[in-house]
Order: sequence, then C-alpha cells, then structure tokens
Amino acid sequence: MKCAESSVAEQSELTETNKGVIHLPMGLLGFEEVKQYVLLGSAEETPFLWLQMVDNSNLAFLVISPAVVLGSYQPDISDEEVAFLGLQNPVDALVFNIVTVHPNGPATVNLKGPIVVNRHTLIGKQIVPQNVADYSLRHPLPSVAVAA
Amino acid sequence: MLVLARKLNENIIIDGRITVKIVRLDKDVVKLGIDAPPSVPVHRQEVFDEIQRSNKAALANGRCKVPILPEHH
Repeated sequence: MKCAESSVAEQSELTETNKGVIHLPMGLLGFEEVKQYVLLGSAEETPFLWLQMVDNSNLAFLVISPAVVLGSYQPDISDEEVAFLGLQNPVDALVFNIVTVHPNGPATVNLKGPIVVNRHTLIGKQIVPQNVADYSLRHPLPSVAVAA
Repeated sequence: MLVLARKLNENIIIDGRITVKIVRLDKDVVKLGIDAPPSVPVHRQEVFDEIQRSNKAALANGRCKVPILPEHH
C-alpha cells in the first residue's frame, strides 16, 4: 500500500503525545530486523492506530484493537510467550491486529497474528495463538450502525 | 539437518519432552502425532508463511487516510 506522507508538523505533534517506544525483540514476521515502533493515532483516525517504525518513520502498519473487531476474540497464548512478555495478568496485555488495505476491495484485519504488548514494559511480540485455526487472516472490518 | 528413517508407530523424542510419532502413512501424506508441553507452541509452517505475507502486504508507505468503516442499518 502506498500513499502520501503526512505532514512533518502533524507527525511531530503526534509523536510528542506518544513517547513510548514499543520493543518487539523478535520483530514482526517478515520484518524480524525491525524491533522498535511507536503507536500513533488521532481522534479522526479512531478506531485505527499506526504502528510506525522508529528507524524509518515513512513505514507503518495500520492496526486496530480486536475488541472492536470481534468481541469474542480470545487468542490462546502459550505459557512460554506469557513468560517472554512478562505478563502477570491478562489486563497487562495490550493487543492489536494488523489491518491490510487491499487495492481492490475492502480492508481486512489479520486475526491470526495478533501483536501482544506488555503495557508496563512495552515489550511485545507477534503471536501465533494456539487456537490460530479459529481465526481469519482476512477478517472484515467492523461495521458502524447508521440511522435508517 | 538431521534426517531419520522411521516406521509406522515409531517415535522421535526431542529435548526429552517432545514426542513426534508416525501415526499414519498414506501414499503422499504422513500423519504425525506431536506430544509437547503446553509451553511449546506447535504450528504448521504455512501459518507463519501466511502471516508473513499478510504483514508484507499491510506495510504502508507513510500514514495515509484510514479506511472508512462499513455501515449497517
């Protein structure tokens, strides 16, 4: 997906409000060498956020909280991964999923590979849940209700 | 890569805790039974490959307009 860059002013403003750098020690699948990201967003972009590379601010992934996509979403994370992330409690986990904007057709959400971040340490990992077969790689975006 | 020959119902043990058993042999399909502790994720290679492809397709060159959510009545 290619599109115009947002203005420098807009970017610096958003970066100011979100100083936390998310560390993905294993990167994302296919981007193993990129380990530092920032999460950016604005009111107009809700419910989407951008997971932007720290070392290359031109590159970003559009992400969304699975809570707004599929209420019943419960990725089953292995004990080993829970330990890796240092999660003591389910509320420690910040979960988001990557959105793909297709050139022809509606955007979809990857529910097979959630990114799970420890909200206290900001260490995260893209997880392949034990119950990965229950979820779609191209789940539709949630719809919003409009008055008839 | 270590290559081992196994017959039906024979096992391989990895690290003293993961057992891989040849459960069934068909013409071109081998069914494996894998016994691993819950802490060890076991997945088909294809799952990793498809998530990797999906990530690559999702990478955006700069922040652009986010999609508009579909509407329902």
